[in-house]
Amino acid sequence: MLVVQNLNVFHGPIEAVHGISFTVKEGSCVSLLGPNGAGKTSTISAITGVAKSTGRIMFADEDISTLPVEIRIRKGIAVSPEGRRVFANLSVKENLRLGGAYNTANVDRLIAEWFETFPILAERRDQMAGTLSGGEQQMLAIARALMSEPRILLLDEPSLGLAPKIVTQIFGMIKRLKEKRMTILLVEQNATLALRLSDHAYLLNNGLIVADGTAETFGSNDALMAELTGLA
Amino acid sequence: MEFVAQQIMNALSFGAEYALLALGLAIVFSIMGLVNFAHGEIIAVGGYTMVAMAALSLNNPLIVVGAAILAAAIGAVTLERVAFRPVRYADPTTGLLTAFGVSIVLQNLFLLLVSPRPIAVTSLYFLEWPIPFVGLRISSLQLFETITTIIVIVVMMLFLKRTVLGLAMRAAALDFEMVRLTGIKANRVFAAAFLISGLLAGIACVFIMARRGSVDPHLGFDPVLMAFVACVVGGFGSLPGAVIGGFLLGAIEVAMLVLLPQSLGGMTEAFVFGSIALLLIWRPDGILTPPREKGDKQ
Amino acid sequence: MTLSRSQKRGLVGASLLALVLILIGTIATYFGSKYQLRIVYGSYVSLMVVLALQVFMGNARITNLSHSAFMGIGAYAAAICVTPIAMKKISLPSAPWGLNAFALDPVTSGVIAIAITAIIALLIGFILVRLSGIGATIVSLAVLVIVHSLFLYRTDIFKGNQAFFGIPQVFTLTSAIIIAVIMVYVVRGFKESRWGIALRASADDEISAAAMGVNVHRLRLLAWVLSCVLLAVAGIAYSYYLGTISARPFYFNHVFLTLAMLILGGMRTVTGAVLGTFIISFGLEWVRWLETGPTILGQKFPEVLGLSGVVLGSVIVLIMALRPGGIMGDREIEDFILKNTE
Repeated sequence: MLVVQNLNVFHGPIEAVHGISFTVKEGSCVSLLGPNGAGKTSTISAITGVAKSTGRIMFADEDISTLPVEIRIRKGIAVSPEGRRVFANLSVKENLRLGGAYNTANVDRLIAEWFETFPILAERRDQMAGTLSGGEQQMLAIARALMSEPRILLLDEPSLGLAPKIVTQIFGMIKRLKEKRMTILLVEQNATLALRLSDHAYLLNNGLIVADGTAETFGSNDALMAELTGLA
Repeated sequence: MEFVAQQIMNALSFGAEYALLALGLAIVFSIMGLVNFAHGEIIAVGGYTMVAMAALSLNNPLIVVGAAILAAAIGAVTLERVAFRPVRYADPTTGLLTAFGVSIVLQNLFLLLVSPRPIAVTSLYFLEWPIPFVGLRISSLQLFETITTIIVIVVMMLFLKRTVLGLAMRAAALDFEMVRLTGIKANRVFAAAFLISGLLAGIACVFIMARRGSVDPHLGFDPVLMAFVACVVGGFGSLPGAVIGGFLLGAIEVAMLVLLPQSLGGMTEAFVFGSIALLLIWRPDGILTPPREKGDKQ
Repeated sequence: MTLSRSQKRGLVGASLLALVLILIGTIATYFGSKYQLRIVYGSYVSLMVVLALQVFMGNARITNLSHSAFMGIGAYAAAICVTPIAMKKISLPSAPWGLNAFALDPVTSGVIAIAITAIIALLIGFILVRLSGIGATIVSLAVLVIVHSLFLYRTDIFKGNQAFFGIPQVFTLTSAIIIAVIMVYVVRGFKESRWGIALRASADDEISAAAMGVNVHRLRLLAWVLSCVLLAVAGIAYSYYLGTISARPFYFNHVFLTLAMLILGGMRTVTGAVLGTFIISFGLEWVRWLETGPTILGQKFPEVLGLSGVVLGSVIVLIMALRPGGIMGDREIEDFILKNTE
């Protein structure tokens, strides 16, 4: 589904990611792990086209690396970004409507579905998204991303700054998505949680992939796990 | 009584004009941080379109009004495409200076291609007649202006609440990148913002022209200066702020005209700007924006 | 006092610019016609304004739109002091506070004008420096409008849009050259001074500069008042040469003209200010000649009023789109001849 080859990402003159390559197969959940500043979010930004990058990004057998942001999204990529970035001055429902901006035929049905999944969002449908709690905002951000019925979901730090109980809830939701065979690229600092869901994981440090493997290989490598959980 | 009613009508119609223009400035500013000083020249484009209509002997008022509004809208969208696209993501100062440059170019083009002198436009005189209203006489033009502005504001609100593009424009004021990440095309949002600001300027142009009866290259400069102040009062980029600021400014200006002694008549503008400067010291972000510390994230 | 490396470079740069100014001025003095002398003088006055503008805009990085008002304050204050009583009885018959009953020598008048401008600048500055970015620009715009309204309204003092005449013409082109040269040293000196450096650092990142103990507001105020003092000098130079002034040249057109000069050359550097001023001053003179419908190679061209405005506006738009840092960007004149070893 998504094949990234030799990706370099730039923030102005600074290169944040140095020639990494990885693959996300259809229906699988792949996670990018690593400490703060490893280049995980930069990689997500490069895939959506927000950050400048060189190298090849293949999505559904098509090179999308030169396309503008909106077009890439319309090909079936959706993102729940770091920091959630819900539209604070719009209501919950309006946020969801914007998420389905180019999926207008199904918007009403999907909104009803989401309200069923998250009754709390239904309860606050007309409330400004800025007044929601962090966990509610995270749910909204994921729901907004899925309003377009994407072919791949990029999830950037869904657990960041949330209470453990809420994190469990969010990861439960991700698990259900995975069971529905949604293709997911998950960026997480919390390696233990992420590995529980992932079919495959890559460890980034200083803009390079330093290790990769299945969840089992990571799990059986005690030194690596110690380092990862230490980082998390 | 008649005097008070007349002054209230004056304040409302002044305020309506400023609100229309301020809304146009605010919608562009909220999305791209551009203080569009060339807005005044968009008004002049509408005015000169009326001259052109007269030259073509098209005197049907509907055609004249429609053409002026359409021309202003096309003018605004063209400016976005030609002049403001390169500075789309630049800092506000770069945008402001670009807008000044565009404004100078357009004013001088009018001067060069048409005439430096005012040209009379008579096709809108029909809008002005006295209306008897519970024993008072009210200017029809002022009534039209106030009612039109209220209708426009309601339509704008519906647009911003009900349509996806409207939602996107509100969201873009906060986080443009995230709007693009929902797959909405940036170009469409920018074009829509300029289209709306052009339409609003076109509508304002009709009333300005009906009142003044002539167009010259500087037609829009003073009204836009005031609209700019209205935006500042309401909090730059806030749409409700622009409307409130516009009407407030209309009220202040009429109050100054009425209350200042005759001998200080020439100082109205200075007093208006002085009170705005004081307001900015008290509330640097305008009256509708809560005070915010530097470095705060939204 | 020892000079830092950048200060030594600044001294070299300022001297090079001074040389250029003296050279252009001398050539004009010896070879220019009377009309050309006026134009060159005008461009030196513009240069003073642009240099003054650079002090504030280049270091504090806040767009100022009120500079023409301060130039006007300086010009009018000096004119009112210096004009002979007999003249003022004719031109300002109803002036209040005995303004038409005294006259001072040009030097005292100039000092008073500078002092008045500085005080007004200080009072406005207290307000203005507290705002940043677009808010400060808006207040400066308000200042411009208010001052202009005052000039127009108090016709008994300023004569509004009519000419205030009878000012002794004590300045020659040589005086303007000397003042401009001194200003180049002052402006460059401020840029390389510790205040200038701290101010520029704070413009890049206000919060961390404040965290390092830089008092941003005080530094901005310093740059603002210095800028306004230099503007007063420019206003004085303007009135002492022309002999008549009116309110119109101290309003929007002049604001945009000088702003265009600064941003064309590049507002971050003193060299940019000088370069931009000369390009636009002499370039516009040429365009104005085209505007009048000249005959070139036997071909009569039509009159195109407004062409100079179109050119000026286009220059601003193009510079902003293609090279927002102006022609010079961050480079000063000495960077072209001295090695960059830092």
